[in-house]
Amino acid sequence: MAIGGRQSQIVLDALRTPMQAVSGTVRRHRPDYLIVLYMGLLMLFGLIIMYAIGPQRANVLNNSYGSNYSDTYFFVKQLISLLLSLGAFVLMAIIPFAWTLKKGSALLVIGIIACAVLAVAGWLHLGIAQESLGANRWFNLGPLGSLQPAEILKFGMLVFVAGFLGTKAKQGKVNDVQGTLIPLAIITAIAMLFIIVIEKDMGTGIALTSIIVTMLFIAGVQKKIGITLLGVAVLAGIVLIIIAPHRLDRITTFVQGDNTSSSDSSSYQIEHAKMAIGSGGVFGVGIGNSVQATGYLPEAINDSVFAIMGETFGFVGLVAILALFIGLLMRLLQVLDHLIDMRLKLLVAGVFGWLGAHVILNIASMIGLIPLTGITLPLLSFGGTSMIFIAAALGLIFQLSRYTVHSSRLTEGSSYEDTRSRRGLGRTRYASRRSS
Amino acid sequence: MKLELQHGSRSRILAGLILLVAAVFVIRLFYLQVIQHGYYVGLSTAEQVKRLTIPAKRGLIYALDGTTPVQLVLNQDVYTVFADPQTTTDNSKIIDTIQKIAGGNAQSNLQEKLDNKASRYQVLATRITRAQADLIKAENLRGIGFQDLTQRVYPEGALAAQVLGFVDYTGNGQYGVEGGLDDQLKGTDGILQSVTDVSDVPLTIGDKNVNIPAKNGTNEVLSIDRSVQSYAEQALANGIKRVKATNGSILVMDPQTGRVMAMANLPSFSPADFTSVTDPAAFNNGVVSAPYEPGSDIKTLTLATGIEKGVIGLDTTYNNTDYIKVDDRVITNAFKGQTGNITIQHALNWSLNTGFVTIAEKLGDGSTITKQARDTMYDYFHNKFGLGTLTGIEVGGEVAGTVISPDDPDGNAVRYSNMAFGQGLDVTMIQVAAAFSSVINGGHYYKPTVLAGTVDANGAYIPLPAPSPLRTTISKATSDQILQATQTARCTFYCRQDKPGYTIGGKTGTSQTLVNGVYVDNQTVGTYLGYGGTDTPRYVIMVQVSGQNMNIEGGTDVEPIFSDMSNWMIDHLKLQPKG
Repeated sequence: MAIGGRQSQIVLDALRTPMQAVSGTVRRHRPDYLIVLYMGLLMLFGLIIMYAIGPQRANVLNNSYGSNYSDTYFFVKQLISLLLSLGAFVLMAIIPFAWTLKKGSALLVIGIIACAVLAVAGWLHLGIAQESLGANRWFNLGPLGSLQPAEILKFGMLVFVAGFLGTKAKQGKVNDVQGTLIPLAIITAIAMLFIIVIEKDMGTGIALTSIIVTMLFIAGVQKKIGITLLGVAVLAGIVLIIIAPHRLDRITTFVQGDNTSSSDSSSYQIEHAKMAIGSGGVFGVGIGNSVQATGYLPEAINDSVFAIMGETFGFVGLVAILALFIGLLMRLLQVLDHLIDMRLKLLVAGVFGWLGAHVILNIASMIGLIPLTGITLPLLSFGGTSMIFIAAALGLIFQLSRYTVHSSRLTEGSSYEDTRSRRGLGRTRYASRRSS
Repeated sequence: MKLELQHGSRSRILAGLILLVAAVFVIRLFYLQVIQHGYYVGLSTAEQVKRLTIPAKRGLIYALDGTTPVQLVLNQDVYTVFADPQTTTDNSKIIDTIQKIAGGNAQSNLQEKLDNKASRYQVLATRITRAQADLIKAENLRGIGFQDLTQRVYPEGALAAQVLGFVDYTGNGQYGVEGGLDDQLKGTDGILQSVTDVSDVPLTIGDKNVNIPAKNGTNEVLSIDRSVQSYAEQALANGIKRVKATNGSILVMDPQTGRVMAMANLPSFSPADFTSVTDPAAFNNGVVSAPYEPGSDIKTLTLATGIEKGVIGLDTTYNNTDYIKVDDRVITNAFKGQTGNITIQHALNWSLNTGFVTIAEKLGDGSTITKQARDTMYDYFHNKFGLGTLTGIEVGGEVAGTVISPDDPDGNAVRYSNMAFGQGLDVTMIQVAAAFSSVINGGHYYKPTVLAGTVDANGAYIPLPAPSPLRTTISKATSDQILQATQTARCTFYCRQDKPGYTIGGKTGTSQTLVNGVYVDNQTVGTYLGYGGTDTPRYVIMVQVSGQNMNIEGGTDVEPIFSDMSNWMIDHLKLQPKG
């Protein structure tokens, strides 16, 4: 049997591990509603900013392209995305995580097939493949909008790798190069082939990298292997940057700073993002008064929305938004730390890596700390697919927050918690007698 | 929301990382939004706030036709056609089109200009009309653009050119009324400052929007009468041609108001074509900007001073020997032979210098031109008659000239003896005519003016109120004597030139000119200063003719121009002869 065959066998074996082992030992309890609160507040911020700059955005597009967007177009569209996202959140919070985890490989296959279909459709120039920036990234679903299959692939990877790596971790084989790391590398490489090479979507690629790296980190990969993997990732990144001229431009722009000519589009975007943020001052210019949104700052409602918020809400508003993101990420870590099963831990770790990478990379590039990445700000940027999938992932975590255990139990391994000491304390967040 | 993470767990490390990054972000945001706030507001303002100037329309200039304003200067929108040689494609079609439509306004070397690929701006045609521009636009030529500007047009051609002046390419009035009343004509440009979107569409955001409407320039109505001006220019041209001189000036003003009815000089220019003028001297309105030694016409003012001060009358006699000694100089008469005891009137009739030096002496101790005499003359000439001072006429480039004060070492008796007959002082025609008007109108000095009123935005003529005199120069009684004396003086030689039944008076002047500081004997300037009317003078006419190395006589050479103009004025003003 060829190596590929043996490794598929390893993967499939891992996934056949029974699920009852995962949740059977912990009773369901009250979930962590702070996740909903933080997510909801962020979504609300996003909705407000769409309401505020939607008319300007529509005006800019109508003037430039002769389109006919109404003033409320972007607000309504964001509202619909938001409702769909809430739907996805609820759905993933309800569907038993064991089932989701079991379907990880199926999700991954669907994602790969979707990406492959898109690639072929794009190659054949079919109408369903929406071309933009020299790459086919979206399925054009007509009135339903557009769908980015890379998001399905990313989500599939999240669930699949959590299951695979978690199982391996349980078996104490995380650092097994042959049995764990090489199969993982092959799967990741396949996903990256579609996302970065075919769809030329560096942002999603970075997010996926972050998901995998965070999972490996939590799964307990050895420092030596971790450093090696990091080296490989950096090398791959450098290669990818060098083969794509626009990425190199962004780096050059960043290194040269304000000395570049303003005709360079990426330096223009960074400069105007900083102008938007800087002119916001302490309290911002107020809702509806953003001038950068009237066409000066590119991607005002998408990747640059943080800068527009900086202009509108000022330092106070941005710190609040940042605090909400940090709060949300901290809740994820809290859930992660109090789950027992490694596969569930890794699911949360993956979502943490995903959300964290988006937030950090987007904000860091907007405030001029790193080169432009072209990555969205989760829950705030305009755009359906990305928000729906991140909400779905958060819904999954929300469900997992029902199965956390008290810290004291974590140290005791997988044995039952001695709840006597906490009887009657009314702490319902963790499994206890009172919660059933 | 208490966070409980396991000691030493990898999630703790992640939390630490996130908080570290968040701290860096907050510091960076504080730097950008609080510390650098002003800098970024400045950058944004520079890019987002556009300031448009709303050009004020330059006021029109009208002349009078009787009492009705007629347009002398209008505005017209014209276009400059330019090309960007880097974007033009069909150069031969561009050349054909421009040459066919713009005609004479097309530049000559179009091919060369369009071939200059290094340039992004080449002017192909200038000052084409809107209709021509529309025709060129209709051809849809690539790389061709238009710039509109306003130019002045002159429906009356070169009429009153030096009264009007012109407007240069930067929009500033030069010379004439355009220069003198530039501020009023120009108006005030409006400002439209607005925050705009990226396509320069104004937004209603923020507090940086400013909208100050343009204040258009005033439409000025000149007191210049189109017919009088036209005839004056003709009469001057004819008179100069008759004596084959090269330079001349004519001024017609209303002695009862100080309003100038006509003012012209030769050589002149055409304001529509001011760029073709090679000698900028042609722009000068000599009547107000070329001081000269006017000669014997000033004797009327010396006479007025003497009579007013009571030191002489018209019938006062003195012994004329054709010579008179002042200090170490001997002053002679130009006309000799009228010797013996003669009256001052006689001296005026024959323009005898000795008579007027005598008046100057009588203003002193009777035999010398004392400091007191000079002070008196200076007080009258400079302070009362306004010689050597700016009159404030609204024509650009007025020059004050010089009347030397007795306190000046040069203001000695010889100087003042010369001044008594119009030499040794530099004055402009407008000063002399305004002073002369005051000694024949009862003693009222009016500021000379070319303004009669304005035309409002609706086209209605709003005349200025009748001017009141600035000051009194002499008494009515003295003025009456000057009227009488000047009529007699004119009639001594030129009565037959005049239509009968009118009051016409005047005085010649033939002045020596200084060349390099020395009076030469081959170049005189001829002047005639006179008035006409019925019971009261209705017009003052001052004419001056000169030429390089030419002896121009005030009487024989210049007086005919006065007669021509004066007789025409009587018809024009429809004056009724006395019974």
